[in-house]
Amino acid sequence: MSGPTRRVALKVVGATLGAGAFAYAGRPVAQWAASVDIDDLLRRHYKELTADELAQILRRIEDETQKKYGVEVRVEDIPAQDGVSFGYALNLSLCIGCRKCAEACHHENNHDRPTNNSYIRVLEMQQGSFDMEHGTVDYDHAVPAPGKYYMPVQCHQCDNAPCVKVCPVEATWKEKDGIVVVDYSWCIGCRYCEAACPYHARRFNWRAPEIPADEINPDQGYLSNRIRPQGVVEKCTFCLHRTRKGLLPACLEACPTGARVFGNLLDPASSIRYVLEHKRVYVLKEELGTRPRFFYFFDK
Amino acid sequence: MSCHSLREAAPLPTSTAALDEFHQGIQFAHGELTCASCHLAGPTPSLRRADGERIDLRDAMVLCRQCHGPQARDYDHGAHGGMTGSWDLSTGGRTRNHCVDCHDPHAPRFQPSWPVLPPRDRGLTAAAPRRN
Amino acid sequence: MADPVDTVAPPAPPSLAPGLTYLRFLSAALRRSFSGSWRFYAWMTVLTAIALVGLNGWGHQLQQGMQVTRMSDHVSWGLYIANFTFGVGLAAGAVMMVIPAYLYDDHDMHDVVIIGELLAIAAIAVCIGFIVADMGRPDRMWHILPGIGRFHWPVSMLTWDVLALNGYLLINLHIAGYLMYQRYRGKAPRKRWYLPFVFLSIGWAISIHTVTAFLYQGLGGRPFWNSALLAPRFLATAFISGPAFVIVLLHVVRWSGRLTFGDGPIRTLTSIMRVTVLLNLFMLMSELFTALYTGGAHAAAVKYLFFGSHGKHALVPYIWTAVTLNVTSAVLLFLPRTRVDRRWLLAACACAFVGVYIEKGMGLIIPGFVPSTLHEVVEYTPSITEWKVTAGVWALGLLILTVALKVGLAMWTGKVRAADAPPMVDGAP
Repeated sequence: MSGPTRRVALKVVGATLGAGAFAYAGRPVAQWAASVDIDDLLRRHYKELTADELAQILRRIEDETQKKYGVEVRVEDIPAQDGVSFGYALNLSLCIGCRKCAEACHHENNHDRPTNNSYIRVLEMQQGSFDMEHGTVDYDHAVPAPGKYYMPVQCHQCDNAPCVKVCPVEATWKEKDGIVVVDYSWCIGCRYCEAACPYHARRFNWRAPEIPADEINPDQGYLSNRIRPQGVVEKCTFCLHRTRKGLLPACLEACPTGARVFGNLLDPASSIRYVLEHKRVYVLKEELGTRPRFFYFFDK
Repeated sequence: MSCHSLREAAPLPTSTAALDEFHQGIQFAHGELTCASCHLAGPTPSLRRADGERIDLRDAMVLCRQCHGPQARDYDHGAHGGMTGSWDLSTGGRTRNHCVDCHDPHAPRFQPSWPVLPPRDRGLTAAAPRRN
Repeated sequence: MADPVDTVAPPAPPSLAPGLTYLRFLSAALRRSFSGSWRFYAWMTVLTAIALVGLNGWGHQLQQGMQVTRMSDHVSWGLYIANFTFGVGLAAGAVMMVIPAYLYDDHDMHDVVIIGELLAIAAIAVCIGFIVADMGRPDRMWHILPGIGRFHWPVSMLTWDVLALNGYLLINLHIAGYLMYQRYRGKAPRKRWYLPFVFLSIGWAISIHTVTAFLYQGLGGRPFWNSALLAPRFLATAFISGPAFVIVLLHVVRWSGRLTFGDGPIRTLTSIMRVTVLLNLFMLMSELFTALYTGGAHAAAVKYLFFGSHGKHALVPYIWTAVTLNVTSAVLLFLPRTRVDRRWLLAACACAFVGVYIEKGMGLIIPGFVPSTLHEVVEYTPSITEWKVTAGVWALGLLILTVALKVGLAMWTGKVRAADAPPMVDGAP
C-alpha cells in the first residue's frame, strides 16, 4: 500500500476502535442514564410541594411498591402535631443489651435484611467506664454479662444538629416536634451528614435495600419508613409514622425491660418529663453542644 | 376449686427447702423473705399484705410496692416496666406489664437471655467473617 | 517536536466583528488540540483509555450503587474524597507562581505564569470529577445549584466549597482565556481586564483550601479533624504539592521545546518548597505531640494511623511511607547537590508530591473515621472500582492539562495567531 492510503486505513481502523471503546466503556453510564425516571429527577423539594403534588407522589410511591413487590402499602405524610415536642430517655440500669429494640426497628422501618440494618446500635460497655473505646457492638453471649452494662445509641434528634447544618441541599431538617427528617427524594448522597454526626446515627443505602415482600411493613411515612431508594441517607425518626399518631415508637414497645421512656416534653404530666425532673439524666457527648433530645440515666 | 379443700393447710414453712410435699422445686431468690411474708395459708390462694390483710393474687402489685417504693413510683409515672400502645393517652390506651410479667416473684432478678440481630453491616463483615 | 505554525485562512479584514474573531479563536484552539506528533497521539490515547476505564467503573457504581466501593457507614468517605482534598491543594498550590509573578514582580515567573493558571483549571476539573464520583445520586446534582436547587448557604460549608471551587475555575478560565485571546489577536492585554482578577485569584486560591479544610475541621464529632491547625496544614501541603508538580511540568515543557525560559521560576519554586516542606513537618510534629502527649480519646485516631489499634493496622504502611517521603524530600531540597543537579531536584519533587498525596489523602481522610464516633475500629482499603474511577479522573485531568498547555503555549508564544494580528516583537505582541 502507498503512504497516504495506509495512513487513511490506519485512521479508519483507529477511529473504529476508538468509537468501539467509547461505546463499550460508556454503556453502563448510558444504561443508568436511561433508567433515571424523569418525574423523579424533576421532583421538587418536600417543602415546595403543594398538597396535590404531594398526594400524587405518595400514590406513585404506593404504585411503585405494588409493582416492584406486589404488596399493597399505604404511604402517608403525617405532619407534626401542635403542642408536641418529642423526647426520649433510656434507663441504663435496666437495659440488658438484648437488642430487641434494634430488631423491632429493623422490621418497623423496612430495613435492608442481609445487613441486619437498624437505626439502633447497642454497645456493651465496661462497668466503671464511660469510654466507648472499651465498648463492643458485636458481642455474642448471654446478656447481661457480668461486669458489663449496655448502651443503645440511636439518633438523638439534636436541637443543634450537626447533620442538618452540613447538608448542602437542605435534604435534612428539623421538624417542629423536634424530629430530624430526611427527604429521600432530595438527598444527593454526599454523606457529609454521616461524617458530621457524632452518634453514628445515619445510614447510607450502599445499594437498594433488600426486603422480602411478605416482610414489608405496609404502614409507611414519606419522611420515615417508606422503602428507601439506592444512594441516599436515612436515619431514625422516632418512628414518626407511629408517634405522630400518638403511638409509642417500635423500639420502646419491643423493650422487655421497660428501659425506654418516650413522650411529649411539653406535657408536664408526661412520663418523659417525670424522668427528666426526677432522675439524674445526662446526654452523650454533651461537650459537643449538640443538645440532644435523647437522654440516658442510671437509677441504681 | 382449691387443693386446700381436700386437706387442712399446714402452717407455712419459712423456706422452700422445707417444702416436701407441695410446691417442690421452687427456686427462691428474693431477699430474706419467707413464704409467709407474702402468702396466706387458706382455702384459696391469696396474698398477705404486711399488715396481715388478705389480698387477691391479681393485686400482687399492691404487695410488691410495699417494699419496692421507688420502682412503684416510677411505674406510676410510666417510667418503669414495658408497655405497648399510645404515648398520647388522649388518642388511645396503653397495655402495661404487671410486675410478675417480667419478674418471677420467687426469683425476681431478670434472667439472662441471648441477644438478637447481631450487627452485620458493611465493613464489619469485610473485616471478619460472620459467625452463625 | 516543533509544530508547524497554523495558518489561519482566509485573511480577515480588520473590521471583523469581535464575535467572529472569538469564534475563530475557539476553532483554532480546537484544531490545535486535535493535531500533533505521534507522541502526542500516543499520550492522549493512553490517557483516554484510562479515562474510559474510569468511566466504565463509574457506570457500574451508578447501576449497582456504592456497594462496589469499600466505604461503609463507619468510613463513609474514602479514596474519592481523599483525592478531592489533594486536588484542591494542587489547584491552590498553582498560585505560588501567580504570587511571585504579580505581587513580587518576578519577570521570569511572569513568562511562565500561564502554566500555573492552566494547571489550576485542570486541578479544579479533577476535584469536580471526584465530587461527582463520590455522590450517591449524581442525577440530583441540580439540587446543589444556587437559585435552582436548595442551596444551604451560608450554613453548610459544602456550599461554600461549591462557590469557592467554581469561582476559582471561572476566574482562572477568564484570566488564561483573556491572555491567550489577546495574544491570538496580537494585542497587548489590558490590565483592567485581567489584573483585578489575578489579585482576586490569589485570595481565592487561599480560600478554596481554607474552605476545604473547614469542611473537616468544623466537625466536632471527629476529633482527628477538629483542630485549628488543619487549614494551615492544608495550605502548607498545597504549597508543597503545587510547586513540586509545576517544577516537573516546567521541565517537561522545556524539554518539549514549546517555551523557552530561564531557571528563575524553578529556583523560586524550589525556594518556596524549602520553606513549606519544613513548615509541614513542623505542624505535623505539633499535631502528633498534642495528641500523643495528652493521650485519651483524641489520640485514638493518631495511634491507629501511626501504630494501629485493636489489632488493626491498615493505614500504618501508608503514613510511614508518607512521612519517609516527606522527610526525604526535605533533606533532598537542602542538599547542595540538588541546586546543580536537575535529577536530584526532580527526585525531591517526586518524593514531596507523593508524600503529600498519601499524607493528605488516605492519611488525613480515613483516620477521621477510625475509630468511628462510637469508637468502633472498622478499616477501609479502596476497592478495584474506586481505583479505576480514581485513575480515570486523574487521566481526565491530565487530558485537560495537556490540551490546555498545548493550545495555551501555542497562543502564548504566537504560534497560533489571527490572520490580522500584527507581528510579534521579542516574543511579545
